[in-house]
Amino acid sequence: MDREIIELQPGWEKCRMYINKLIAFLEKETESAFTSEEYMSFYTIVYNMCTQKNPYDFSQELYQRYRDSFTGYISERVAPALQEKNGEAMLHELTMRWENHKLMVRLLSRIFKYLDRYYVSRYNLDYLNDVGLMCFRDIVYEYMKPTMKNAVLSMVLKEREGEQIDRQLVKTVLEIFVEIGLGNMKNYEEDFEKYILEETSLHYRTKASEWIEDDSCPAYMIKAEKCLELEKDRVNQQQQVEGAGGASAKDADGASKQVNSGYFHHTTESRLLDCVEDELLAKYEMQLLEKENSGCVALLREDKKEDLARMYRLFSRIPKGKEPVAKMLSKHIESEGMAMVKECNERAEQAKAEALTKSKKERRNQESQETVFVKRLIKLHDKYLLYVQECFDNDALFHKALKEAFENFCHKQVANCACSELLASFCDNLLKKGSGEKLSGDAIEETFEKICKLLAYISDKDMYAEFYRKKLSKRLLFDRSANEDHERSMLARLKQQCGPQFTSKMEGMLTDLQVAKDNQGRFEQHLEKNPEKKPPLDLSVLVLTQGFWPSYPVNTMIIPDEMEKGIEIFKEFYDLKTKHRKLTWVFTLGVCHLSGRFGSPREKKYNFQMNTMQAAVMMLFNSEEKLSFGEVRDRLKLDDADVIRLLHSLSCAKYKLLLKNPPGKTVSKTDIFELNTKFQDKMARIRIPLPPVEQEKKKVAEIVHADRRYQIDAAIVRIMKARKVLKHSELMTETVTQLSSSFKPDVKTIKKRIMDLIERDFLERDKNDPQLFRYLA
Amino acid sequence: MSKENTVRLISAEGFEFVIDYEAACVSNTIKNMLSSQGSFTESELGEIKFPEISTPILEKVCQYFYYKLRYTNSTHDIPPFDIAPEYALELLMASNYLDT
Repeated sequence: MDREIIELQPGWEKCRMYINKLIAFLEKETESAFTSEEYMSFYTIVYNMCTQKNPYDFSQELYQRYRDSFTGYISERVAPALQEKNGEAMLHELTMRWENHKLMVRLLSRIFKYLDRYYVSRYNLDYLNDVGLMCFRDIVYEYMKPTMKNAVLSMVLKEREGEQIDRQLVKTVLEIFVEIGLGNMKNYEEDFEKYILEETSLHYRTKASEWIEDDSCPAYMIKAEKCLELEKDRVNQQQQVEGAGGASAKDADGASKQVNSGYFHHTTESRLLDCVEDELLAKYEMQLLEKENSGCVALLREDKKEDLARMYRLFSRIPKGKEPVAKMLSKHIESEGMAMVKECNERAEQAKAEALTKSKKERRNQESQETVFVKRLIKLHDKYLLYVQECFDNDALFHKALKEAFENFCHKQVANCACSELLASFCDNLLKKGSGEKLSGDAIEETFEKICKLLAYISDKDMYAEFYRKKLSKRLLFDRSANEDHERSMLARLKQQCGPQFTSKMEGMLTDLQVAKDNQGRFEQHLEKNPEKKPPLDLSVLVLTQGFWPSYPVNTMIIPDEMEKGIEIFKEFYDLKTKHRKLTWVFTLGVCHLSGRFGSPREKKYNFQMNTMQAAVMMLFNSEEKLSFGEVRDRLKLDDADVIRLLHSLSCAKYKLLLKNPPGKTVSKTDIFELNTKFQDKMARIRIPLPPVEQEKKKVAEIVHADRRYQIDAAIVRIMKARKVLKHSELMTETVTQLSSSFKPDVKTIKKRIMDLIERDFLERDKNDPQLFRYLA
Repeated sequence: MSKENTVRLISAEGFEFVIDYEAACVSNTIKNMLSSQGSFTESELGEIKFPEISTPILEKVCQYFYYKLRYTNSTHDIPPFDIAPEYALELLMASNYLDT
């Protein structure tokens, strides 16, 4: 198909005509840009000029003139228009011009598309689109940059001070920054972002220094949180539809229900927020926390949960923000705990002083300080655990702080008892019959839970175990346990918390009791079948495995004949079933029902319940009327301390079955005792208690320490056996780790045990390296 | 995409070919031109004159538009698009012009 050759000049004249038409449209001088006809002919001209054969191929010229027409238009019309105006008006003008420019680029590049397709790619030049943008950039943007930036900054400042601004305008302007970059964010970042970040820091720095002086911590935090929210709002969130955001931002009252009305580019978000956080929070963190009446400590004191939660939220944004808060929490808990300890101690002192003046009844009703302490301890723990969960979002750091604080003050002694003992007594109270507390089953279970949690904070767990065991045995033997299910559930919890080794003995005790009861049943059956073997007294025996139960003092005392016979008959029966077992009789734990006739002129039959040893003493008086201290001792073959105790309980306590000569409150070795025939009491059944030996606490401590030595030995040998050769320091750390579940071993003790083991030829020191130990098989 | 909208392509001789908007947009040139006329309304605007393209060529071009639309993204057997050799050159130039 032949076409007319179009010469450059005439061809270009036609193009120029069209371009001018377009410009007129842009300047709002005419209605519409091109009709389809004009468009097509324009396109055709360009097309033809490019496809003509050489030398009529005007691609290069066209390319050049394309660019020139842009630069021409911009310099002549656009730039001057912009330079006339200022501030916000300037920004408006700018956005309008930018839009126009984009339109122009779009239209023209479509028309000149043919160039793009072949000429540009062949010669590796910039695409028409980019050419257009670059023209705008070089001429307009480079000059207008600072003014643009300043205008935007001043608008942002206005908004920060509370005024409404035209957000859409700012957004469009910022978009220019982004688009000018031609694909990367360099322009935006260098020409704008830098300054806005600086500006933000400055702004908030001044604000912060004002607020920190005037406001209390919670008020400051509320303001800080608000600022952070506002700033976030100013950022254009990425995933939302931009059209919706733009439209609704134009609401006169700036309704905040729109999708997003932010204008900062979304990449600015993190840097902006970091800036704000840094100025508002990081710099002033310590000051805020330590504020006198409103800082962290005050908030904790006054239970201001919401403020604490806010504090946590804010400070978790900045790096290392949480540590100081956690530390303060820990210190606060510790000081409260110490205060509690001190208070309890003081009250205990006071109680002791008053003990002599108060009546017995009053004393019994008043809960012992120990129970009070434990209860308060539980409450304290619950309270702060709740705080950690609610306000501090269950953060591990805060759990740790709580744990440390508790560990620190649980070491202190309260009323001369270690914490472990207190907990054990508390459990005892809950589990025994006739305790003051009547809690429902669920409440008891809950309390057990809490006790077990507290147990985690005590480092002398084996001490607790020992106390618990002793009390448990008393409960079981004297049948004072309220509910066996509770006992078992408590043991199950302890097992979960501290490991099975802890509770193996105690479980053994419970099962033992079952077995013993069965045994007793069989014994009675046996007696039914063989009536001639019946002992002269009703005998019931509990056979216990020695290993499980705490050791009780065993004394070989001479017991009355009747009892002796009973023992023999039982021994026969027991040997029938199991040979090779030795029975050791523990008289200190036995209970005896003795009936006697006292009183004159009328004799009344009384039924006494007393300890076996007391019964033995009373039986002595069956044959004699008077006995001296020495005689009692010799006949029973007991030691002095025991005898004093027994006689005291029978003659100087509430029920005086024996008369002491000379009378008085204490028993001495020269006293003479006779049966009190005139004894009388309203009740027919009387229990004569035997006060326990006072040394219990010390004994427990001794037992535990002895036990620990063995445990340390065992741990060291175990470790060395596995490793064969080990350095001193490593051995130490390993031992401590292994034993940490039951107690915290002392470094000196470990050293001593190592020495001991060396002497016993379990270990030896290495000849060359004195720090190294070797295992000897 | 506007369903009702059609475009009229007018050949050198004045023949009018009415095709869908979608078909017309197979050609980048036509597409650009149509979309630069402000925002596209629902009414049936769109009339383009091609004074340099003869009628049979334009007809073939329109057929090609539909052919392309029908078989884009289809993996089944695609029938060949036959071009009579006498039209080949002109068709080639027309498609270059139209960026198709």
